[in-house]
Amino acid sequence: MYDVLVIGGGHAGIEASMASARMGMRVGLLTMDPSTIGRLSCNPSIGGSAKGHLAKEIDALGGVMGRIADASGIQYKMLNTSKGPAVWSPRSQNDKDLYPLFAQHFITTQPNITVIREQATGVIISHDCVKGIQTSSNTEILARAVVLCGGTFLNGVMWTGETATRGGRVGEAAANGISDVLRSYGLETGRLKTGTPPRIHRASVDYTKTQPHNGDERPVPFSITTPYVRNQLACFATSTSAETHDILRDGFSRSPMFTGRIQGAGPRYCPSIEDKIDRFAERDSHVVVLEPEGLSTDTVYVNGFSTSLPFDIQDAGLRSIPGLSKAEVLRYGYAVEYDFFYPYQLKHTLETKAVKNLFFAGQINGTSGYEEAASQGLVAGINASLAVREEGTFTLQRSESYIGVMIDDLVNKNTDEPYRIFTSLAEYRLLLRIDTVYTRLSGYGRAFGLIDNETWRVIERKENVKRTLSSDITSLKITPQAINEYLVSLGEEPLTESTTVTNLTRRPKVKLEGVLRYATEIFTTVCEEHEDVVHAIETELKYEGYITKLHRDIERFKDQEQMSIPVGFEYNRVKSLSTEGRQKLQKIQPASLGQASRIPGVSASDVSILALYMR
Amino acid sequence: MSTSADTICALATPPGVAGLAVIRLSGGRAFEICDHVFEGSQKVCAAHSHKILYGWFTCRGVRIDSVTVSVYRAPSSYTGEDVAEIGCHGGVFVTEQIIDALVEQGARYATPGEFTKRAFLNHKLDLTQVEAVADIIHAETRVGAQTAARQLSGGFTTKMSAVREQLLQIIGLLELELDFSEEDVEFVDRTGLRSLVQSLCDDVDRLAAHVKQDQVLRSGYHVAVVGFPNAGKSSLFNALLDRSRAIVSAVAGTTRDYLHETIIIDGYSIHLVDTAGLRDSNDLIELEGISLTASVMQESNLILVVNDASLGRDHSKSLFNQLLAVYPESKHIYVDNKIDLVHDVEPGDSLECSANTGAGIDDVKRALVDLVREHGVAPGDVLLNARQAMLLQNIANSLRSCLAGMDSQLSSDLLAVDLRTCIRLLGEISGETWNPDVLETVFSRFCIGK
Repeated sequence: MYDVLVIGGGHAGIEASMASARMGMRVGLLTMDPSTIGRLSCNPSIGGSAKGHLAKEIDALGGVMGRIADASGIQYKMLNTSKGPAVWSPRSQNDKDLYPLFAQHFITTQPNITVIREQATGVIISHDCVKGIQTSSNTEILARAVVLCGGTFLNGVMWTGETATRGGRVGEAAANGISDVLRSYGLETGRLKTGTPPRIHRASVDYTKTQPHNGDERPVPFSITTPYVRNQLACFATSTSAETHDILRDGFSRSPMFTGRIQGAGPRYCPSIEDKIDRFAERDSHVVVLEPEGLSTDTVYVNGFSTSLPFDIQDAGLRSIPGLSKAEVLRYGYAVEYDFFYPYQLKHTLETKAVKNLFFAGQINGTSGYEEAASQGLVAGINASLAVREEGTFTLQRSESYIGVMIDDLVNKNTDEPYRIFTSLAEYRLLLRIDTVYTRLSGYGRAFGLIDNETWRVIERKENVKRTLSSDITSLKITPQAINEYLVSLGEEPLTESTTVTNLTRRPKVKLEGVLRYATEIFTTVCEEHEDVVHAIETELKYEGYITKLHRDIERFKDQEQMSIPVGFEYNRVKSLSTEGRQKLQKIQPASLGQASRIPGVSASDVSILALYMR
Repeated sequence: MSTSADTICALATPPGVAGLAVIRLSGGRAFEICDHVFEGSQKVCAAHSHKILYGWFTCRGVRIDSVTVSVYRAPSSYTGEDVAEIGCHGGVFVTEQIIDALVEQGARYATPGEFTKRAFLNHKLDLTQVEAVADIIHAETRVGAQTAARQLSGGFTTKMSAVREQLLQIIGLLELELDFSEEDVEFVDRTGLRSLVQSLCDDVDRLAAHVKQDQVLRSGYHVAVVGFPNAGKSSLFNALLDRSRAIVSAVAGTTRDYLHETIIIDGYSIHLVDTAGLRDSNDLIELEGISLTASVMQESNLILVVNDASLGRDHSKSLFNQLLAVYPESKHIYVDNKIDLVHDVEPGDSLECSANTGAGIDDVKRALVDLVREHGVAPGDVLLNARQAMLLQNIANSLRSCLAGMDSQLSSDLLAVDLRTCIRLLGEISGETWNPDVLETVFSRFCIGK
């Protein structure tokens, strides 16, 4: 008998297992093949726009994704540095062989986790409560809570050209049966599609015809526990040509996408190359980035060339691309179609509304991406443990994290394409910066026991430096003589009388670091050791007006967010609700008025009316 | 007991012209706001509850009206909050100026049913009244939406959707830059973005001015009086006015060449618009060309067809039927005028009257009032216009803030905050949440996914 049984060893399963084990649960991690735990099924990369925020949030909550990424990182880049601090987002290239090894290291060295090599075929439910699972070897594994992280494996079908193979990932079997059991329990499933590009041999690339993309001069790790990372390999960019497009177009008649054989919807933000050619016919070139998949592997990931076209077309298309005329394909691109459960059937804790103590995390909820999956695994793992201990729930607000934004979006909006996080989805984007992540979230992680003492000391130290420096510069005055040279060099008005460092930093072009270096030697070490803290303080000063405005908004909506709606509330009783609003409310059964207000179709007056009934 | 610092105001008496009107102000800052605009024997803040103060309502040093201010201190008020009720002289202009001044001092227009809602939340109403309150919010929202729909017709809808379109385009461009900077797409430069925002800002400003100007004309229940020349439209028009002594706020048709009058029947304000005659029913086909009459009818709740019964009771039937077909959203009534000249034995089944003798005029009025009641025009109708104008103004302000941000080189994540405010305000104008899928606009226009 396990406390928490996690099905699937992908990014969601890893975080769910680790969090539960650290919370003292006896954890079973069920996987068809333990050597696939932590595999990077698609691109060899962690983070990216908004995804980098998720990875940082996982680290701040005490998850492991950032640590694994740092251990296996081969190139680091901070995206969007010219676009404003709210959208700064870290991304790494990772060694696809090392990543799973480090992931497995975390799992195997963590006390309380038993890895079980089995395939789940059914879920045991009794009195609307999960009791365990059935396996293909006809055994029953019992557990108090189950976290299902099935990825693309539930009734997975892989497509290349006209060939369809059952499976969730190349060379790995699909998991059938679970969807049927849960469907018979009233849960609604749909089909989604995602794809991956071909991998080619690195020696078959003519790099002279490509442009190198290097990492940052000063690479920054994901995890606060990682002291140092370095760049080891570069990526290389090239692009498709009109000729490539002609070749690929010739294969459209044999593409499962265009022949209608794939039913599931694919992601609009990560279209296949055939989709791009079809939808943006006026463009005769698309960028392709060659990403090395690791230090000791020969495979190169052809980013931008996701496809399910037949092999011969993939070969010919690739070879028309500059630098790839001799490309040797090691693994062809394919599309995978799989079952997902419509996430409106979940609570914000990721527990299913229908079955007590059954949690879903990751791609099974209609998301795509490692970071999206891992964050859900973490939240589901924490909540599964809390459920076993009967100690309440853990949910994150939209105003405090991207994880909160994502889960709230999932449970309220019906996804018909794989969900990916974007910064534009967060109404409080300005507050959810990566420089505020530990302040926002580490308290939770510590309280649940996910952050060890050593890490906590590092986090506290940073927070202390931030507090002290913030208060110091409010009183620290600086004279015109000391700073005017710097101001003039920036094209700023020189000072006529002394002013505080805080005031000076509010000027648009002024850098806090610059002022501190000119002002006094005392802060030189701080600037060097805590560049991130200095930057965070500067951001907060420059954004002050906007930040205050957003905090006011949060305050304004707080009552609404906190006003809870009783479980099983009879919306049909409220005659004054609009018809559409009533139907949506009945279906989604929001937990709070705030949530109700975000359900598409529920109008402002519906919310006002509901408020009356919540008294 | 909760008193919200957020102070709301609205006209508490029916809109339109009456001898007196009451404007209600409720919330934590109600008294403080009053003191900024009220010159009386005593400060409102210092007055005891249930006391009535007399004095001048002033705005920027100009005396607008002599008013009374009734003071109700929390919790002994309708809403349970601090409430001030300003009694002033009736009339759209005075009440509007007073409300504008209150808003300038920090009050905000109440949303439909908001006073009642606050009363309920402060336990001023018992639970059995919940249903009724909910119905009020629902009804007022519905009427509001209908009013909005009417206002938004006649070119306004197109203009508003153009604003939405432009805003979405701008936000799309900005978000593209923020979320997809790594993509191989062409990003718009700041100069390009700035001119887009500037042009949107200008459009919204113009629109706000337009709404303000038209709001008197557009408020209330609209009746278009139409018919063939010499059917007696103008006589009937005058007969309705004469009888209803309370001729009010005759907005001279200086900018429009039709006559426009407001009458009050049983407390309802009804706008009568005398249109130019339609020569024959073929005119309907060319109606697009007679844009003025067309727009009057478009904006009307009711189309009243006046028939010269002396030429036959069915003389205007074809016109009536065509209008029914062209304006299915409006109500239609058919009135046989000049009934004193008809000597047939069988009376017809439509309304009949004689504008000359006055016979049947009361029947026509009763018919009008019945339709207005059925329509459910409620207090707040006028304010909704003002609220919308204010929201438009706020949108323009947010856009100006965005422009200022661009000029001082603020980063795009900050500019996006102002633009998001615009989205929220645009939603409030139509009374529903507008949650555009910004990413949709990005995906449809740009090739994302390298």
